[in-house]
Amino acid sequence: MRLGIDVGGTFTDFVLIDDKTGETTYEKVLTTPKNLSVGVMKGIGRVLKMGGATMKDVDYVVHGTTIGTNALIQRKGARTGLITTDGFVDVLEIGRFQRPKEGLYDFYARNPEPLVPRRWRKGVPERVDRNGKVIRPLDEEAVQKVVKFFKREKVESIAVSLLFSFLNPKHEKRIAKVINEIHPKAYVSLSSEVSPEFREYERSSTTVINAYLQPILDRYLQTLHKKLNKKYGKVDLRIMQVGGGMMTPESAIGMAVSIVNSGPAGGAISGSYIAEHTKNPDALSVDMGGTSFDICLIERGEPTISTEGKFEGFPVKIPVVDVGGIGAGGGSIAWLDVGGILNVGPQSAGSDPGPACYSLGGTKPTVTDANLVLGRLNPEYFLGGGMNLDHKLAEKAINEHISKELGWSVEESASGMIRVVNANMVKGISVSSTEKGHDVRDFGLVAFGGAGPLHAVQLAREIGIPRVVIPMLPGNFSAFGLLISDTRHDYWRTFKQSVADLDPKRLAREFLKMERKARRQLKAEGVGEKQSKILWTADMRYQGQSYELNIPVKRSERMTTKEMKKVMNDFSKLHQEVYQYSSPDEEIEIVNIRVRAVGKSPKLKMPKMKKSTKDAKQALKGKKKVFFDETGFRSTNIYDRSKLRYGNVLKGPCIVEERMSTSVLIPDSTGEVDAYGNILVKVGGGR
Amino acid sequence: MAKRMKYTADPITMQVIRFAMEQIADEMGYTLVRTARSPIIKEIMDITCAIFDDKGDTIAQAHHAPMLLTGFELTMKTLARHFGPKDLHPGDVIISNDPYMGGQHIMDVQTFAPVHYGKNLVGFVGTIAHQSDMGGMVPGGVAGGMTEIYQEGLRIPMVKLYKRYKENEDVFAIIRNNIRVPDNTIGDIKAQVASNYVGIKKIQNVYRKYGVDVVHNCVRRLMNYSETRMREGLRNLPDGNYSGKAVIDNDGVTDDLIPVQVNIHIKDDTAKVDFKGTSKQVRGNINCPIATTYAAVFYTMIAVADPHVPPNSGCYRPVEIDAQEGLIVNPTLPSAVAARTNCSQKIVEAMLQALAKAAPDKVMAGSHGQISTCGFSGYYKGKRWVYTDIQGGGAGALPTVDGKDGQDSHLARFMNTPIEAIELEYPVRIERFELIQDSGGPGKHRGAMGLRRDIMFLVDNVSWARYGDTQERPPFGLFGGKEGTKGRFYLIDNKGERRARSKGVSFLNKWDIVSLRLPGGGGYGNPRKRDRELVEKDLLDGKISLRSAKREYGYSKK
Repeated sequence: MRLGIDVGGTFTDFVLIDDKTGETTYEKVLTTPKNLSVGVMKGIGRVLKMGGATMKDVDYVVHGTTIGTNALIQRKGARTGLITTDGFVDVLEIGRFQRPKEGLYDFYARNPEPLVPRRWRKGVPERVDRNGKVIRPLDEEAVQKVVKFFKREKVESIAVSLLFSFLNPKHEKRIAKVINEIHPKAYVSLSSEVSPEFREYERSSTTVINAYLQPILDRYLQTLHKKLNKKYGKVDLRIMQVGGGMMTPESAIGMAVSIVNSGPAGGAISGSYIAEHTKNPDALSVDMGGTSFDICLIERGEPTISTEGKFEGFPVKIPVVDVGGIGAGGGSIAWLDVGGILNVGPQSAGSDPGPACYSLGGTKPTVTDANLVLGRLNPEYFLGGGMNLDHKLAEKAINEHISKELGWSVEESASGMIRVVNANMVKGISVSSTEKGHDVRDFGLVAFGGAGPLHAVQLAREIGIPRVVIPMLPGNFSAFGLLISDTRHDYWRTFKQSVADLDPKRLAREFLKMERKARRQLKAEGVGEKQSKILWTADMRYQGQSYELNIPVKRSERMTTKEMKKVMNDFSKLHQEVYQYSSPDEEIEIVNIRVRAVGKSPKLKMPKMKKSTKDAKQALKGKKKVFFDETGFRSTNIYDRSKLRYGNVLKGPCIVEERMSTSVLIPDSTGEVDAYGNILVKVGGGR
Repeated sequence: MAKRMKYTADPITMQVIRFAMEQIADEMGYTLVRTARSPIIKEIMDITCAIFDDKGDTIAQAHHAPMLLTGFELTMKTLARHFGPKDLHPGDVIISNDPYMGGQHIMDVQTFAPVHYGKNLVGFVGTIAHQSDMGGMVPGGVAGGMTEIYQEGLRIPMVKLYKRYKENEDVFAIIRNNIRVPDNTIGDIKAQVASNYVGIKKIQNVYRKYGVDVVHNCVRRLMNYSETRMREGLRNLPDGNYSGKAVIDNDGVTDDLIPVQVNIHIKDDTAKVDFKGTSKQVRGNINCPIATTYAAVFYTMIAVADPHVPPNSGCYRPVEIDAQEGLIVNPTLPSAVAARTNCSQKIVEAMLQALAKAAPDKVMAGSHGQISTCGFSGYYKGKRWVYTDIQGGGAGALPTVDGKDGQDSHLARFMNTPIEAIELEYPVRIERFELIQDSGGPGKHRGAMGLRRDIMFLVDNVSWARYGDTQERPPFGLFGGKEGTKGRFYLIDNKGERRARSKGVSFLNKWDIVSLRLPGGGGYGNPRKRDRELVEKDLLDGKISLRSAKREYGYSKK
């Protein structure tokens, strides 16, 4: 068995799965923000009991946590210092000097304050040049002075980011030694280890976030480890990372920056799993909850990995599952701007006070209120009947804030709110797909999260996506990703070379060097040779460009010119695809080389249903009036998802209700239930 | 047959189409940056993209430099006068960089393409990119001392670079023959064209989905909406005549100070802007073409009246600009204009001084007011290199908060180039890049700090062509806030450190260091009223010295 734990802002989700039968048990407890391990321990006990299992039955536990994200958002990380090359302490504050794009005309728009204040940023004389040669030796006395100062100032974590350290880490390593001697309790993050690639600001930013989070994560994992040990004996704990794999707690502490945003990454993994299993290898996965709408592009069954993330406005140069997000969810608030135009979000009513219809004191109209007014949500069956929704309060909120001002009916206003929030999501999807050169018209859309299936089919029609997949249990689906993740480690470094002048054997040697490190790590984590998978890739560009495309390189100990040619061809092809042109005569260069080490987790077997009839009448709950853009209010079939069977066909318009979510099939769409209970929707009426 | 949603030009569809158009403009910018070769485009991002209707009115803009954005329309309208719908075919791309045809400066190459839907011309897409070299007297075209546009580089009138998707070889040949690093620059121009084509395809999708009438009605509605908001913002400013004055150091030819005066007349929901009191055009290359002047005026008016209005042509309607021909803000042929940013930044500064009297709570104190642009060039291993370094400085303090250290202000929206990227590409070494202590103008809210950047050269015979400003008069403070600090350029060689003129050309040898000291922003409000906590924070962070804390802020240890 495997156990997944996903700590979120409001709830902590637990999912227990039996490898052999595929039987799944879900549980939710309230997150305990003051001491996260309390909620975690409580939920573990409950989910094991529900599943009739003990910890002995559990092979391993995968843990996704927002502890890093929260520490970053609330600026509650460690007291952190930064050591740079003398003359460059302000690189972290100046950054790229650019004003934020959200405020081209707004004097008040500003980038976030750096995580390390200037008093704890210190330069030391030293310099490595662009060839990796030391041209100014490290002034060790200066280093000692700085470290002593940090110790006096109670700085508990130190980031070190020197110019060109990715070419020659000697000075950074020496500084680490000095820190260990003088201030042995301090945590140390070296830029040459956290993110060994060029562009000093981005590398420093990544290293600083790592340092900022290390002590927090370490303390949390130690507490959890102790509690688990005490109650259950030895537990094999793995930590989810934003790159989409899991790692041991020790590796996680070393690469603390990689746990930020790992929640949405888990969602994207779930999405890609279903995409592949429903024969949609190219798909978009969208996860819509109460406050945010997360989007990930899936290609050939894998979520796209990006090497340039941004957390809280700070650039992060590590491999991340490329999840785009916008502030659109069930709780998003509708408002009129100064000119009287309707906008929705990014402010959200969250869960407290929540949408007006929750009757928890919220008075502002939200997307959930609009869906309720339009008949798409069942007021008696929200959260499986766990919460009653008040239709009157929803109407009142919309009427007071929107309808009265605009002179529209409440229904018109509600449908307008849905159209605006959908337009926001369409824009978000474009950023994650078409802006990267993909034509989504032959993609599938995998939709989950509490609110995802409410909007997905309409969204698909807007964008021109022909197929939508609504997985089983969409409201809990994100945590499922934890259980199907592989062990993963990424190694990379800047290796800037023109491909034409490059000896293929030398390139192979460089790859092999990193590969050896990778294999050692997998072995240390108990991954056998058979489950290990090693992937080589290179970031490439035309000489003179500033942005790279990541190209797979076939692993080969004796690389030949022919193999290099293939890599160059692949680069040209991708360049053509993404940017609509390629230049065969131009010189191509490699910028970074990357080795990804994957320890494959055993495949899960999911339970299959027996084929039933096309007719879904056994699941029909009744009819009610629901609003659709195309038809206005019309009588619509309501189905109970838990009673749907393999082979059932659902003709839109119709509504499918289940405990944690509601699916809306708009007119001219047709759903079919597959053997695993997923609803596969064909979207008609697009362009 | 599937039913299709019938769209009407209602306010919701308007909002939906607005989002789509803004997204397309951003995608165009993204394509341009990702495929370009020169750091000034791909790292600094001195570019922009926009979408226009068939008359040349702006519908949407990419989130890039407002300096290029708000003046863009002028060039577009010139084009619409030059080419009738019959002269424009699908796949055509028109190129121009002529400041006297509504352009900016020679370096800013613009490409436009008509958007057709069915057989009809429905609009245009445009791009601007600052090319790193367009020929002329000095690499990068940025030197002070030039006196005629002919010295500044190849001036391309509005000509077709592509005809029905086919390269116009003749035009390419002329350009190639006149520039220093043709491979890079031609690659960059092609990146602009790629961006045009990407935009066209996406806009056609919008038309396909909503139909021509709905799109056009929504666009009209959107512009009216922006106009309404802008008028509302102007109405909130008290009626009156407000004047402000800023000074440009010199024109790079003589040492005379050059006044830029802006007079703003607010009446009801309109503003009229004139330049009475502003210098006539000058011999040096700091003259500001009318498109750049428009950009500076509209930028400031939008920022003060309603910074979150959707930026399109509607915003421009309630603002009338009267810039007499022959003034430095509307020069005539053959005035040189390469260093126009010095003047345009000063227009913004003068306007903010004027508007401070009308809306003290909506303005910013004086910012660095210049863009220090240095073009370095030489030979390395037999190959020509041109490296352009662009730097701003400290922003002014705001009515409620300090100027943000390490963040640019006004008009431009550039990124700096990573030190490691520069060193990997050019024979230079950056020795220092940091904030300058005590450079932010003292105030209840402090001006943002100035910057220092030291660049060392690893080869002989490097030319350093440059223009900077705000080296004679510091950025202004407001309401008791003190002035910021002036900028300075230094040359450090084996004879020691000495000042270099703000505009001109020098020659450098191996191991010489160019040290740029960029101006710090002005303060807002009486510094003696600054929170003690903030003074102590600045002290701890070394942003101010103890001496300055005592003298400027009346600080004493408890």
